[in-house]
Amino acid sequence: MNKKTIATHIEKTTLIGQRVRKPDAADKSTGKTRYINDLVLPQMLYGKILHAGRPHAQIVSIDTTAAEQLPGVHGVLTGKDVAGLKFGFVRDNVALKETVRCEHDEVAAVAAETEEIASQALGLIKVEYKDLPGVFSPEDGRREDAPLIRGDFPGNKSLHFAFEHGDLTAAEAESDIIVDNVFKVHHVTHCCMGTSCAIADFDNNGKLTIYSQTQYPYNYKMDLAPALGMHPGDIRVIQPPVGGAFGSKLDVYPYEPIAALLAKKTGRPVKVLYTREEEFKSAPTRQPAVIHMRTGCKKDGTLTFRSADVLLDNGAYTSWGPTIPVVMMRTVSGHYRVPVIAYNAQAIYTNNPYAGSFRGYGNVQTTFATAQQIDMLAEQLDMDPIEFRLMNAQKPGERTPQQAFLRECALDKCLTTAADATDFVTRQKEYGLLRNSDSRYKKGIGIASSIHNAGGAKIHKSDGCGTMLKVDDYARATLITGASEIGQGIDTVISLIVAEELGIPVEHVTLMNNDSDLAPWDVGVHASRTTFIAGEGARRAAVKARQQILNAASTFAEISADELDLRDGFVVRDKEGSIVIKLEKLLRQMHFQPEPELVMVTDYYEPNSEPEGADHISNMSAAYSHAVHIAEITVDTWTGEIKVDKITSAQDVGRVISRAGLEGQTEGGIAIGLGYALTEDMQLEDGMLKNPCFRDYKVITAPEMPELDLHFIEDGCAEGPYGAKGAAELPTIVIAPAIANAFYNATGVRILSTPLSPEKVVRALILAQQADVSSSDSMATAAVS
Amino acid sequence: MMSLKTQINFKLNGQPVTVTVPVTMNTLTMLRDELDLTGTKYACGEGECGACTIRLDGKTINSCLMYAVDCDGREVVTIEGLKSGETLHPLQQAFVDHGAIQCGFCIPGMIMQADYLVENNPDLDRARIRRGLEGNICRCTGYTKVLDAITSVVESRE
Amino acid sequence: MSEITNYLSPCSLDDAVRALADGDVTVLCGGTDLMPQMEAGQREYASTLMNIRRIEGLAEITLTGDTCRIGALTTVSEILTSQLLDEVAPVLVAAADQFASDQLRNAASIGGNICNASPAGDMIIPLLLLNAVVELASWQDGAIQTRLISLHEFFKAPGKTVRQNNELFAAVLFDKPPPGFVAHFCKPGPRPALEIATVSIGIGGVLEDGVFSDVRAAMGAVAPTPIRARRVETTLEGLPLNADNIRAASVSAGEDATPIDDVRASSWYRDHLVRVLTKEVLNDVLENTN
Repeated sequence: MNKKTIATHIEKTTLIGQRVRKPDAADKSTGKTRYINDLVLPQMLYGKILHAGRPHAQIVSIDTTAAEQLPGVHGVLTGKDVAGLKFGFVRDNVALKETVRCEHDEVAAVAAETEEIASQALGLIKVEYKDLPGVFSPEDGRREDAPLIRGDFPGNKSLHFAFEHGDLTAAEAESDIIVDNVFKVHHVTHCCMGTSCAIADFDNNGKLTIYSQTQYPYNYKMDLAPALGMHPGDIRVIQPPVGGAFGSKLDVYPYEPIAALLAKKTGRPVKVLYTREEEFKSAPTRQPAVIHMRTGCKKDGTLTFRSADVLLDNGAYTSWGPTIPVVMMRTVSGHYRVPVIAYNAQAIYTNNPYAGSFRGYGNVQTTFATAQQIDMLAEQLDMDPIEFRLMNAQKPGERTPQQAFLRECALDKCLTTAADATDFVTRQKEYGLLRNSDSRYKKGIGIASSIHNAGGAKIHKSDGCGTMLKVDDYARATLITGASEIGQGIDTVISLIVAEELGIPVEHVTLMNNDSDLAPWDVGVHASRTTFIAGEGARRAAVKARQQILNAASTFAEISADELDLRDGFVVRDKEGSIVIKLEKLLRQMHFQPEPELVMVTDYYEPNSEPEGADHISNMSAAYSHAVHIAEITVDTWTGEIKVDKITSAQDVGRVISRAGLEGQTEGGIAIGLGYALTEDMQLEDGMLKNPCFRDYKVITAPEMPELDLHFIEDGCAEGPYGAKGAAELPTIVIAPAIANAFYNATGVRILSTPLSPEKVVRALILAQQADVSSSDSMATAAVS
Repeated sequence: MMSLKTQINFKLNGQPVTVTVPVTMNTLTMLRDELDLTGTKYACGEGECGACTIRLDGKTINSCLMYAVDCDGREVVTIEGLKSGETLHPLQQAFVDHGAIQCGFCIPGMIMQADYLVENNPDLDRARIRRGLEGNICRCTGYTKVLDAITSVVESRE
Repeated sequence: MSEITNYLSPCSLDDAVRALADGDVTVLCGGTDLMPQMEAGQREYASTLMNIRRIEGLAEITLTGDTCRIGALTTVSEILTSQLLDEVAPVLVAAADQFASDQLRNAASIGGNICNASPAGDMIIPLLLLNAVVELASWQDGAIQTRLISLHEFFKAPGKTVRQNNELFAAVLFDKPPPGFVAHFCKPGPRPALEIATVSIGIGGVLEDGVFSDVRAAMGAVAPTPIRARRVETTLEGLPLNADNIRAASVSAGEDATPIDDVRASSWYRDHLVRVLTKEVLNDVLENTN
């Protein structure tokens, strides 16, 4: 029987924490969704870019005559067309180059009637280069005699960040144990399944509409404008569905202003769409870094200090990416209770592909170091590894030296949950004892943890989000927000929240979030902030709408609004659930009464956090969260292959909102982390990418995915919506060190660099064996960088 | 440069079609650009990612590596041909229900391959599904919910 | 790039080899290698593109007497699911299982895989173990002529074979191995199949009363072409398959291999792998015969 037709009472239920279908999933499952890659506009031309294909050179001459004369070509651009139109985080980039500083540098661009004609035209452009000596590592780049990549950045120095707290000398003196290592982390890239794409179209008033994959439309306008010599207000950003982003779409890249400049030149819409090879060569990377880290502790296990000297490979241009040391610093100073901190990070320009932002944003790199050093200390202390971590774990109400306020802190629960679920301490001991057996396959278990901002990150003056909500005469709600959907599922979270507050089905909520002319300000999808901030904005707007509706119902029914609730499309009495009026009917009554009212509300939510200042002392996020991963692995000591058997994750999520979405984000984050730890590697030889294809750049596939055991710690959060915290980055962050620690447990060998590739593993094991024989100390260990 | 063209006839999602295509064109381009079937995706062009998976005479292939002329006289099914009327195919429904879709770009190819696996393996367990998806890359989901979705369809069949 | 002026899709071997005799032809047989090589500009089309898919009788797996024949158009999937091959040459079926993905197995032909002459070609290693020969057909003096050439003499260099432009790869043939013949194939890598072999290795022979004879060994991705590992064969031939001899074979494998550094692995690691995988494969042989 249908409850809706005969029921007189409706029980109170909640959607929070339920499994709710993603609104766009049905269309995506049938191929109906029109991604940006699929879009074709009338009269549209295809733009193609000539990449330099060399890491460092002066362009002596360019001859585009033949390309311009090819039938079907409508426009050709080179560096002289964009002179002075600098863009980028420190305005060091330009859409088309006159000096080549990395392999993919854009030298010329063509708009033509078909992709084939555009490609053919590229082949007709004659460029004469004068090759220059290059810099291919940050270590080389900072040498005094290093070639200078840019005249305006002496010493090839890009961004620099430092933070000190407490007396390092004194802390070292009172330390009984100090671990001191150099960790090296490598180049990886996002590998979004949908390759990079932009479609630009000018109207006759000079206003640009750009169809973009950006995950940060407001910043995008601001960043794109100088590359075009335009005012940001004259740019409209439309965001069609995208094939993944993972941080890669936080910046503006040259292909985007190129599409716009070609559109301007030709007077027609222009689409630039990368091939996979272009994507690999041109896409941003996760920053490679050399991390010299030291951590000290006393005999009783109390941590005394941590110092980190970080050298980062900036690549040829500075995107948002090189601001990652800000996040790295938070981990160095906050991952466990560390009273004394000395942190110094310098990014160095090189002729390598340039770094961007990538899920985990610096924390992936630092946690590889911090979590291994915590593991080393536990062993050297001969303490119970979980006890050691628990005694140093920060507690609710504590502050880090940078004044991050851990109002809620569930690190201890994460540790005990994961350890109990895996019987960690016992198994770590057992595997450690089997380490020296003759067996080809060795098992290991490893633990790692980290901290990440979970309530936004106030890297601007604002970390806010604007929301508009209307509820129409049919009790359908439309929510307009600046928060973008890039596959991560904010559409589900927001629909669920609005439906929860208004007591309507999730399917009756429509989300409008893909047009910058429509949606209000938001700081973009990054920093694990969207559920927390856009979700809270949606909740607050929905609560306002709900109150307006209940007040109206109260007047009509002459029942106090406090005694009313919205459930299942009806206004009901809160206690007994008896139906008062159908919501649709009420909304029409509100509309058509003598003093008509519509339900349209707005909200601007600015989280209670402090801007990150130059001194780096601020509570820059409205919440923080921890995660613990335990990796169980099998090492094939013959081939060096590491098989990850199982990952157990315990993460402080505050409260689960969209359960399937959260699980999906966690599982996907783990997969990206696994690739970083084991298989993915951009192999660069003098700045040139040698493996620009999925055959040789190995992302994790289904057969490699381990068994997962996910635990969500739900201790709530005072500020997040319904107590939720941001959650999407931590799963990627903690994987690699958990595996490195498990590898140590299995073999007694430390690998201090990513990835733990089969070849590196074999080399490390052989080296350790040789060291073992020469020192005749059966417990000797070797560290390999 | 004009490439030589030839006319081909084949059955596309149950309907006969006649197309004139350049002899060097791949099936993916023909589907997307000539026939407006954009559900089949380009993501690598090298047969490594499976986003362009279609059925050709019942078997799954990477349409990016298949010459369009090779479709002549054969039967092609794309993701658009999987749904019957207004009802989602059981696999499509399972992917939706299990939260197996995030950005969704790989999903049409993933579902085409899943359908092939389900149809051709009477004893399909999770391990075999994993192996069966080795040619389909997903960057969002970590495959876990994809495996859940396919497993649920296998179980409901039994 | 020259222009294609002719597209052919012959239905008979006769028509196909006649077209080849007229010269300048690119043969399309599945396309899984041809398409990406063309798109990447590694190859150029001849003036005629000939799709041989419709040729009758080129997609069959047959056993006539003791000779097994696999037509050029046979897909890797058809090899994987062939009952006949599972009985006659299970190592070939095992290699098919390690070949790429379903989608590629369904499209890739054995003829294409062999003619592509990749040093890492997965299907080539087991065929080398089976002492396979290649059948090339051409049009001469008004009739089809065929010549047979041993598979291990077929490859010249990466992407290069001894096939002449007027010859069509028609089939690969091998004699049923002797009774008691066991062979194993192995390639490492975190993914079961979707991996270009960093190295691959196959060893087979007859193990009777503990003695290993008719030993055949082959390796991929350790030289410019897939090779027979003659030193491994000599080391093991006629001797007991025991730990000492397996160790010796592993050393010989290192001598047979002349790997290079490339994007997939260093020569050092390849050298290491052929040694340990030789042990692995021989241990598998031992285990499966006891």
